[in-house]
Amino acid sequence: MPEEKSFFKKIDITKLGPLVALAILFVISAFASPYFLQVRNLLNILSQVSFTGMIALGMTFIIISGGIDLSVGSAVAFSGGVMIIALNGLLQVMSEPLALLVGFLVALGVGIGCGALNGLIVTKGRLAPFIATLGTMAIFRSLILFFGNAGNLTVDFRYTMLKDIGRGRTFGVQNTIWVFLILTIILQFVLNKTRYGRYVCAVGSNEKVAKFSSIKVDRVRFMTYVITGATVAFAAFFAAGRMNSISTTQVGDQYELDAIAAVVIGGTPMTGGTGIIWGTVVGAIILGMISNMLNMVGVSPYLHGTVKGIVIIGAVLVQEIGKRSTSKLSN
Amino acid sequence: MKKAFLLVLVVLFVFTAVSLAATYKIGVSIPTADHGWTGGINYWAAKAIEDWEAKRDDIEFFLVASSDPQRQVSDIEDLMVKGIDALVILAHDSAPLTPIVAEVYEAGIYVVSVDRGLLLPVQDVYIAGDNPGLGRVAGQWMAEELGGKGKIVALEGIPCVINTERVEAFEAEIAKYPGIELLDSQPAYWSADTGYEVMSNYLQKYPEIDAVFAQDDDVLIGVLAAYEESGRDDIKTFFGGAGSKIMIKKVMDGDPLVKADVTYPPSMIATGISLAVFGVTGEPLVGFYQQKVPSEVILAAELVTPENAHLYYEPDSVF
Amino acid sequence: MEDFLIKTKGISKEFSGVRVLNNIDFELKKGEILGLIGENGAGKSTLMKIISGLYFPTEGEIFFEGEKVVINSPFVAKKLGISIIPQEFNLINHLNVYENIFLGNEKRKNKIVLDKKAMRKKTKELMNKLKTVIDPDTVIEGLSVAQKQMVEIAKALSRDSKLLILDEPTTVLTINEIEILFDLMRNLKDHGVSMVYISHKLGEVKEICDEVMILRDGNFVSKANTSKISEKEMAENMVGRVLSEVYPEKVSPDSDLCLEVKDYSVDRVLHNISFDLKKGEILGFAGLVGAGRTELAETIIGIRKKKSGELLINGEKVEIKNPLDAVNNGIGYLPEDRQGTGIITNFDLIKNTTLVSLRNYGKFIINKKKERERTREYVDEFKIRAASLKTKLEFFSGGNQQKVSLAKCLDPQPKIIIFDEPTRGIDVNAKREIYFFINDLVKKGISCIFISSELEEIIGMCNRVAVMKEGSLAGILEGEHINEKEIMYYATGVKGAA
Repeated sequence: MPEEKSFFKKIDITKLGPLVALAILFVISAFASPYFLQVRNLLNILSQVSFTGMIALGMTFIIISGGIDLSVGSAVAFSGGVMIIALNGLLQVMSEPLALLVGFLVALGVGIGCGALNGLIVTKGRLAPFIATLGTMAIFRSLILFFGNAGNLTVDFRYTMLKDIGRGRTFGVQNTIWVFLILTIILQFVLNKTRYGRYVCAVGSNEKVAKFSSIKVDRVRFMTYVITGATVAFAAFFAAGRMNSISTTQVGDQYELDAIAAVVIGGTPMTGGTGIIWGTVVGAIILGMISNMLNMVGVSPYLHGTVKGIVIIGAVLVQEIGKRSTSKLSN
Repeated sequence: MKKAFLLVLVVLFVFTAVSLAATYKIGVSIPTADHGWTGGINYWAAKAIEDWEAKRDDIEFFLVASSDPQRQVSDIEDLMVKGIDALVILAHDSAPLTPIVAEVYEAGIYVVSVDRGLLLPVQDVYIAGDNPGLGRVAGQWMAEELGGKGKIVALEGIPCVINTERVEAFEAEIAKYPGIELLDSQPAYWSADTGYEVMSNYLQKYPEIDAVFAQDDDVLIGVLAAYEESGRDDIKTFFGGAGSKIMIKKVMDGDPLVKADVTYPPSMIATGISLAVFGVTGEPLVGFYQQKVPSEVILAAELVTPENAHLYYEPDSVF
Repeated sequence: MEDFLIKTKGISKEFSGVRVLNNIDFELKKGEILGLIGENGAGKSTLMKIISGLYFPTEGEIFFEGEKVVINSPFVAKKLGISIIPQEFNLINHLNVYENIFLGNEKRKNKIVLDKKAMRKKTKELMNKLKTVIDPDTVIEGLSVAQKQMVEIAKALSRDSKLLILDEPTTVLTINEIEILFDLMRNLKDHGVSMVYISHKLGEVKEICDEVMILRDGNFVSKANTSKISEKEMAENMVGRVLSEVYPEKVSPDSDLCLEVKDYSVDRVLHNISFDLKKGEILGFAGLVGAGRTELAETIIGIRKKKSGELLINGEKVEIKNPLDAVNNGIGYLPEDRQGTGIITNFDLIKNTTLVSLRNYGKFIINKKKERERTREYVDEFKIRAASLKTKLEFFSGGNQQKVSLAKCLDPQPKIIIFDEPTRGIDVNAKREIYFFINDLVKKGISCIFISSELEEIIGMCNRVAVMKEGSLAGILEGEHINEKEIMYYATGVKGAA
């Protein structure tokens, strides 16, 4: 049997696809706009995609395990909104840093709670994830509309710490980018190096085999929703910080679509079983770069959706064609 | 391969060189056209930019329209990359946009805030329409038209500060006339469809109506449609608000039902852009004896009548 | 010349430069049944896929009824009258029997409206021909594996084929069903239908086929009249050397009991099953398809919920609620349905091998080096043929997949192993290897439950044989009672308590 080295020499084209697309887009953008290559602009793109990007990291786990979560956008508004309500109360009774810490824990708790609820309905209730999360999407949004009277939940402008963290920079790079990076590294590690990551792939590949192989399938799937709930909480914290408020009608609107699109563009198939965390990051950046470039060039915002749609379909089409040709070769 | 790379560098250089030619860069950030009035905002912003670009070549404009507050924050961040000297902003929503505009303001960029105020004083100029004035002018004209006697139904906008200011001023004005009775006042959310529904209900509920205050010209379209369908002919006059070209045309053509209108002009964004030009170039306004642009400009709520309607009619505008 | 229905000349096929079929000439007369045998990977399926239009040959020509034809799609093959009954079922699970049989070939009234009545009627006729009672309106999902096979056969028959290719049709059928199938094949033969019969069961080939063609590594080896070649010669031609004894010598077990199953019942599936297993013993489980053997195995390892019963391991009572409890108590299971419950085809060799035992490779973080080394040991020990440890299992042959499944089952070091149809659909050589692995395990003191529908291997391998019938234990045979006749008596209810 040949050594493994020879295998590593072969480059998996399907996996590199997203990276190639990013490179092409990068060159086109550099041509199209003189501002594109400015460090400040590149950092802007990264910070703008980090919200849906964080969520997309969690979504990658769910999609690998064979599920889907449509409620993430509503959950951002819900956990962010509840955090601001809590924060405004806490600021009356404790110091600002402490209140912020507790507020963040509240957001984290609510985000994880949202994920856990989805996970329970999917595993114990045996509902299709699409239906379960379609329901919770409506519930989370409606609850926060009710709590916020369909308006804005705003942190008292005398307190600036949330805004300072949300909009602030460390070593010249936006804090959101750092958090996005750290979450990427953690989740990349979990997916590729840990037992849990292996189990997620096994469950998504073949639930029955996983069950026969003594894997607690329900627990594995439940946890993918909880992980996503946690990433939702981080996104909510920074979304709230970015605008010092949560618009109950607008925040998180269509995040689920952008997150799913990022995962799919990044090379994780909707059928599950396998997935690439850094691919999701690349997918998110591609989406952000498209709207940034169109903005810089001055294309009507109404046309952004068309370009995005073409890129999503194109990316998946290329992957499918790649897959078909490799499977033909190996037959 | 090398040649291609060289070409890239040359093209990039040329681009940069061209963009450096402008002395002043002004960014304009507005909401996308989600209803008639914001459609007008988009029209007037583009028109003002075109006019200024024809007049001077030392100013470069960047116009971005955003579909929601988060998008608008991102779009303003992108504008910052372009090194703008001034920002004209009509905020989607006050609270979410305040932090980013504060950042822009603190970076020393000249900020003109249009219509929707911010929660912190982070602008050089605030320009807006006169909301209480709109209610007052409408109330006064309708009362006089009815001869101080009659039954009125009113339609309101989205429940918010702007709406409350208009409604309260309107009610205060007609309260001066004891012969006038306000039968009902319900929200129509500044939408023609809801205006149609609310008016249909009114027509069922009240056998006698003399006048309708719709507060908005979009709503008035729905109201007139409902009235026409009902086949009734008892209502003497209808009054909208904001000054859309459809209603101005009716006034101009002597329509028996719509005899007047009051402005809340989307052209305020154009004026805002002009103020930004003056502010950033340091040129005083003609006829002003001060060096700087006024820090607050409230546009009058102007009454449009058949006599002066031609002055307000803008056939090319979308609103 | 006119006699030949189909004739090929110099057919070769390459996949990315690798020649898997080399210069094959073969011919088939009208009304002839040709047996096609060879080890896994010998090229049997590839050859048949070329004839049925799924693959296009790299070189060579095909003549059908004397005329040169180009079969570049399954549609062309269908038009010529060539039907294939594939090894893996090609049925749509949520459609019913008649809808599947007429899929793509629906009968219509006035060319528009589906003529369901006619399709039902025709389905009933086909089922009568097959002497099988399956309601045309049953949904496929609800059928047993054997019944699904019958539907596949009916589907091929419904098309009035001139050439019928049967790829391992009898692996899931019982003796009775096989007899019905053979009667039907003889009947079709009398009506001039030609057939190619692919099988690993050499006895059946000898019984039903006129001629047998043997392939090895993509090459033609020999062709002979079945009356002039023995099973042993066939097998030797297949593997290319003289075969030694197929079954290893039986090892006698200890007297200590390592597993006691008492009064196991599952609603409508199992009824009061009790048996015990000695240390180092191989206990066979025989019975007809649907007798409840797999269900019993699944209940023991905690996949199914039992209604009553208890389990003792080394004399101590243990509660097994899920497969993890089973692994923790030293019970391993090699599933019957390799691709459905055994291995993950889009996982590589390493990930499959350690899937059950992953807990032994780190509490949280996986020790990948240890994983790799361990897998390499299994590759050497079981002679698994793989391009690399990172090759996905979908690219493996059936026999190699089964060896990986075996490695996966053994890696947690179980003391008791349940083998469920461990040799289904794999070739003689691989079968023999697996028999010897199992025997080696037993020598190390591991106890085995051996479920199989092939009586020959049950008789060859087991110390005792439990026979099941309709969810009950009909009897346990020992010593000289372990023979085909006796087992069938119990399995069919001629003898035994149930």
